[in-house]
Amino acid sequence: MSILRGFLWLLGFLILGDTLVTLLALPISNGVAGMLLITVWLMVRGRLNDDIAIASQSLIRLLAMLIMPGVVGVFFIADEFAGHWLAIAVALIVGTLLSVLTTLWLMLRFMPKAAQSSEESTNRAGHPHE
Amino acid sequence: MSELRDHLLSTPILAIALTLAAYLASLKVFERLGRPSWCPPVLLAALLTAATLWLLAIDYADYRLGAGWLTLLLGPATVALGVPLYQQLHHIRALWRPILVSLPLAATLAAFYSIALAWLFGASPQVLASLAPKSVTAPIAIGITEQIGGSIPLMMGGLLITGVMATTCVGLLAKHLKITDQRVLGFVLGVNGHAIGTVRAFELGPTAGAFASLGMSLTGIFTALFLPLAWRVLGL
Repeated sequence: MSILRGFLWLLGFLILGDTLVTLLALPISNGVAGMLLITVWLMVRGRLNDDIAIASQSLIRLLAMLIMPGVVGVFFIADEFAGHWLAIAVALIVGTLLSVLTTLWLMLRFMPKAAQSSEESTNRAGHPHE
Repeated sequence: MSELRDHLLSTPILAIALTLAAYLASLKVFERLGRPSWCPPVLLAALLTAATLWLLAIDYADYRLGAGWLTLLLGPATVALGVPLYQQLHHIRALWRPILVSLPLAATLAAFYSIALAWLFGASPQVLASLAPKSVTAPIAIGITEQIGGSIPLMMGGLLITGVMATTCVGLLAKHLKITDQRVLGFVLGVNGHAIGTVRAFELGPTAGAFASLGMSLTGIFTALFLPLAWRVLGL
């Protein structure tokens, strides 16, 4: 029953998010509003109850399956976007390369050096490239 | 035969069963292939489902209508993402300066580069709206795409390619530039490669994984808050 109680909490926050988005005409989705509300609520409370932890873990594990039906659509839109494929390919491939480079540079520039402690050595041991 | 098919399609059960079967089968195949990061299970499952729909001559729209009973769970699943975010908050408290400086810029540029490039190549507003949330995790990206009028299937395809590309790029760059800081690699993977990058980061280690989920959540929230607003202001 724990998972059901947790699921009801999540639905409650989703409904609350939906209510806020609708009343205030916010340009965000109901799910995102619910996510922000539950995060703030957890921060205010300062602890996580087991029901919510179990329900959210189970749902997050299913995420890939939940988005799959949307991905199937990719195979049925070839005609709809004919003539746009070059633009799409360039935007995705070059755009992603540029954004990875930018983020990497920003992080290397602003991230303080890791404390050279035991954590670093255990990280290295677990690094598959080494 | 086609009468039986139409009868079975009159309830969502067939579409739901097909989705579960394809997903479970794809997990098996994914394990067999040695868990390749360039080919996530969701892509295998989508291929399998598309092939099945084609074989049984089922219309995608009919399938999607039935599977909608399942994807309804995306709403509470998006809310559930708040829980790991809450659990990662101590990283934000410890490293709020670099995160505050990097994240908004990185998330904005991730969307900007692709929109600008696609625009230069003459893409339509609908294509631009579908590409803009390409670095955002799927459940959040679906909401954004609906807000700004993109095509969900095209956005999903872009999301997959972005995730795979980002993971490959980060792997190559880390090797050539000899970057071993798990926090940096994880964050870059999460910000650019959403869930696909985060899965890869967890393979690098728990620290990289934690920073990837943090980067993924923050990019999702930032983009969800500001992209629809930017769209409204730009009048697209």
